[in-house]
Amino acid sequence: MGARLVPVRGGPLPEGRRPGTAHAPQSPAAAALRTVAATAVACPARELWAGVHLPLAPPQLGLLAERAQRFSPRVSLAPPDGLLLEVRGSLQLFEGLPGLRAALASEYAPFKAQLAFAPTALAALLGARAGTAFEIVEFAQLIGQLAPLPLTLLRWPQETLERLKRLGVRSVGAALRLPRGGFARRFGAAQLAALDMLTGRAADMRAAFQPRARFRRRRELDCELSDHGRLLAALAPLLAALGSFLTARQYGVTELECSFAHRHSPATRCLLRLAAPCAEVERLRELLAEQLQALQLPEAVRSCELRAQALVPYQPDSRCLWQPGEQGGSVRCESSGLIERLQARLGPDAVHGLMVREGHRPEHAWSVSPPPPATGAGASPAQGCLSRRRPLWLLASPQPLASEDGLPLRRGPLRLTSEPERIESGWWDGADIVRDYYTAVDIHGVRLWVFRERAAPHGWFLHGVFG
Amino acid sequence: MAQDPNIARLLEHPAIWRGRSANAQAQGLATGFAALDERLPGRGWPRSGLIEILVSRFGSGELSVLLPGLAALTRAAAARWCVWVAPPLMPFAPALAASGVVLDRVAVVGGARALWAFEQTLGSGACDAVLAWARAPRPRDIRRLQLAAERGRTLGVLFRPRRAAGESSSALLRLALEPAAGGVRITLLKARGARCAAFCLDL
Repeated sequence: MGARLVPVRGGPLPEGRRPGTAHAPQSPAAAALRTVAATAVACPARELWAGVHLPLAPPQLGLLAERAQRFSPRVSLAPPDGLLLEVRGSLQLFEGLPGLRAALASEYAPFKAQLAFAPTALAALLGARAGTAFEIVEFAQLIGQLAPLPLTLLRWPQETLERLKRLGVRSVGAALRLPRGGFARRFGAAQLAALDMLTGRAADMRAAFQPRARFRRRRELDCELSDHGRLLAALAPLLAALGSFLTARQYGVTELECSFAHRHSPATRCLLRLAAPCAEVERLRELLAEQLQALQLPEAVRSCELRAQALVPYQPDSRCLWQPGEQGGSVRCESSGLIERLQARLGPDAVHGLMVREGHRPEHAWSVSPPPPATGAGASPAQGCLSRRRPLWLLASPQPLASEDGLPLRRGPLRLTSEPERIESGWWDGADIVRDYYTAVDIHGVRLWVFRERAAPHGWFLHGVFG
Repeated sequence: MAQDPNIARLLEHPAIWRGRSANAQAQGLATGFAALDERLPGRGWPRSGLIEILVSRFGSGELSVLLPGLAALTRAAAARWCVWVAPPLMPFAPALAASGVVLDRVAVVGGARALWAFEQTLGSGACDAVLAWARAPRPRDIRRLQLAAERGRTLGVLFRPRRAAGESSSALLRLALEPAAGGVRITLLKARGARCAAFCLDL
């Protein structure tokens, strides 16, 4: 997991302004001179941070951060017990601050979380730690709200806090009132920088949370299972986790591996390949069910594991108003879904297309091709002059026929109804042929395509059925 | 046809449904043979639903009868797939192309579990037509296939042996077919809203 440093530009100050060069935080004279900064102060800040303090420190903060990505793409960790979310862009989605607060509160209710909103990340975190639940939208209110908070919330070194306490500085407001130069000298530049970040005077550089790019989740079963239906039910929580994993990243999966561990035998693996990226858990579950039906388990299963490695960015298709085949509605995902279902049950080679190849020998005039695309372009086919002289069905290999007086037999004598058509040569690939093809009709009236070898023993063969 | 005016008025009642009026409702898929179109309900193959073609021997001309309609389906703009489920032999691509089928629309599904694959394909909505060969499907299976075909708005064609003619079936249309001189002889066994008949067709 590579951490990425993202400048968090919370302050109302213009860019290029270095921390520590300004003196009074908001003197009226400075505000009057710098009109740009003044409007920025009056307007709501460009960023809004939600601080989440989790007193029951969860063991896996990373997992919570992954889930938090459904509220905002910018999440950063404040270990061991804090999360920060930049939520300015998410306000409309959650119908304003009250809606977002309710959504966050219900998400983190199991951890007894405390929430606070502020224009700077550190202020939001401090508010959450204090449990004040403030909602500061404008910079103008920031300092006033922060002033009464105790300094201990900043989690500075104990010795620094002791010295400040001996000076009678216990609150954030009291610390902000101290002269800057002296403060840096006596309590450290890092502490001054923290105060600047708190008030938005300096940029707050925080590592944005980077989610893991692979999914791997394991589940130990309470009891050993060998029934396929129960196994599928046991996989359900893993699939649900995969679903939220994919949703958070807007990824789809094209390959899913499921492995089942046994007591003695080596683990059974089950690989699901998809024709198109998929992020729908329900569809994955159906495909997995098909695959499990065909899976042979050597013994009962003790634990199962789900792994997804081939992740690709996924853009869900917009749905058609019409069903396929109705009012000219076209097919989108139905055919890839069909290919996947058939392949999951019947094997990877279950579906194929047909194509014509350049070749005068019947065996070399066609080949299988990958499954065709979902929708046709309405093309007109090439009309061949041979149309009436070729059968619709071809045998995989010519079938020898008995003969009587030089004429072929198949459930009785065959009647030849056409002139011979000679097809020969093919020396370049070792499949040399010299044949005379005829259309024949058997005693039941079925039209067949037969040939007689020109070479010695002049055997008759059945090669096609006109159908 | 001269009719009693009282009966004519009675027949206008909306609660009375006459079998013959089904013809006017659904426009079928032209088969490519005028003689066949005339006798089929909707003047052609149904566009959605299951039909059965019963032949005593494989290769009696059943595919030649079907092919002009299939070719028209594959040539349409935004055509869906035309799937062959478990064909007994491999369809010969050059001959299909020569009879007007766009091969880009044709998919072949392998032989195992043919009925299951047929039902999946019919119900998927990804296909315009699905052809399948089954030896002995049960009436219950046929019913499921018919429902799947309607769900997927697909023409399903099931090829069966001639001896199944006596069994009951919920297919929309059943016809038996046997080779005749220069063509085939078709017997309509079941057709919604059409008269059962037997006639010859030149191929």
